[in-house]
Amino acid sequence: MAGLELLSDQGYRLDGRKATELRKVQARMGVFAQADGSAYLEQGNTKALAVVYGPHEVRGARSRIRHDRAVINCQYSMATFSTAERKRRPHGDRKSTEMSLHLKQTFEAAVMTQLYPRSQIDIYVKILQSDGGNYSVCVNAATLAVIDAGIPMRDYVCACTVGFVDETPLADLCYAEESGGVSSLALALLPRGGQIALLQMDARLHQDHLEALIEAAMTACKGVSKVLDQVVRQHLQEASVASAE
Amino acid sequence: MAAGFKIAEPLEYHRSFLKENCRPDGRELSEFRTTTLNIGSITTADGSALVKVGNTTVICGIKVELTNPLVEAPGKGFIVPNVDLPPLCSSRFRPGPPGEQAQAASQFIADVIESSEVIQTEDLCIERGKLCWVLYCDMMCVDYDGNVLDACIIALLAALKNTQLPEVTINKDTSAPEVNLEKRKGLQIHKHPVGASFCVFDDSIVILDPTAEEEGLATAHLTVVTDEEERLCVVHKPGGTPLSAEKLQECIGRATVRQREIQTLVDKVIHSVKTAE
Repeated sequence: MAGLELLSDQGYRLDGRKATELRKVQARMGVFAQADGSAYLEQGNTKALAVVYGPHEVRGARSRIRHDRAVINCQYSMATFSTAERKRRPHGDRKSTEMSLHLKQTFEAAVMTQLYPRSQIDIYVKILQSDGGNYSVCVNAATLAVIDAGIPMRDYVCACTVGFVDETPLADLCYAEESGGVSSLALALLPRGGQIALLQMDARLHQDHLEALIEAAMTACKGVSKVLDQVVRQHLQEASVASAE
Repeated sequence: MAAGFKIAEPLEYHRSFLKENCRPDGRELSEFRTTTLNIGSITTADGSALVKVGNTTVICGIKVELTNPLVEAPGKGFIVPNVDLPPLCSSRFRPGPPGEQAQAASQFIADVIESSEVIQTEDLCIERGKLCWVLYCDMMCVDYDGNVLDACIIALLAALKNTQLPEVTINKDTSAPEVNLEKRKGLQIHKHPVGASFCVFDDSIVILDPTAEEEGLATAHLTVVTDEEERLCVVHKPGGTPLSAEKLQECIGRATVRQREIQTLVDKVIHSVKTAE
């Protein structure tokens, strides 16, 4: 059907990975001096920057102040050079606004906002290079940035995009797979309790396959959470060594 | 105690350092912050560079597209610079359309490109009157700690040196362009403009490479852009307290020294990338 074989007979994908294998995750925390918390994360060829300012006083509309919790303000944008075709409208278009909203809803579920009434937490995420799984990479980067800012969360928020091809769930889709007509599902998970913060799927999928797909997504997210935990501990160790000197 | 003094009386705090001829971060008055450069990290862009001047970080990405040249200038291509100061780089910027500072910076970079002739737009022409390249240069600041203009110019220069244009042939029969993405050749860079920004404190003390705090407390700003032939490309002093002619000459002299340092750095990095391939 498709020219490119998304999953070969031996079980290898376009980039040589197995069906349940995640792309290589490399991350660094505390990369920017100006921000309260920042992180840079690479998942395969997708590169994202996340920056957190806050908690601080609510800026702009006074009507947004909540007396019992902090307001989370998210902005998702892509660099104009992040995609193969130059992106004319990096922010303000419908897709970016929708992504920003999803990120906001995801983090409202995880961040302990009741600890900061009448304040605002800004989370800005920028995609420097896009190769599929944009939402997931943003959530992972933003988790690290929120941790770097010292804002308490219930748990890590880990996300992964999975797809269904030839009766097999594929974990962590790249751009070629996403655009190859695979039914893709994005899941954001709080791994310790196995609680789903956000689930998004807008493709045709048979009901019977949904269970398997969600299972695969949850396993992938747990894998990501291990990597993120490792990054945080590494960062803490380096920071404590640096402050001891 | 020093932290309290710094917040309550920032000007006095800075003055106390300037009296000793140094600055809060330990630098001399005419010393630049450490500059690091990384090129070609963004593979979706046709050319890219990341520059850090102290904490100020700017990423420049270049995308090339085909377009028709203007009727008035059939043998010339286009270079479109754009400087983006998003809210993530500093809490002083609000989300929304580009603010004054970003727009002014974009115009400044456009002036630098035009006056320094870093790229001849005639080199971007593929077929006279029919097809030419347009280079979209997007400079994005990700960490704002003063002196964005200098960092943008360095990032732009490094990214342009890193840009590879694919080969385009016009099919004689269909007169449609055929792009060969495999065969690429670099852009020809004619000049290497480099900027040096200064700011004036208390009408008399001139300091180089201001941080964001120093920029906020200064009474005047000055940016000088020179190229390798020691020609002046741009001298930008937007209002502020007057500056004497000799001080200006000193600044220009310092800018030429900076130009040589940066050109060496850019060449070194480009060379190391080439040998690594």
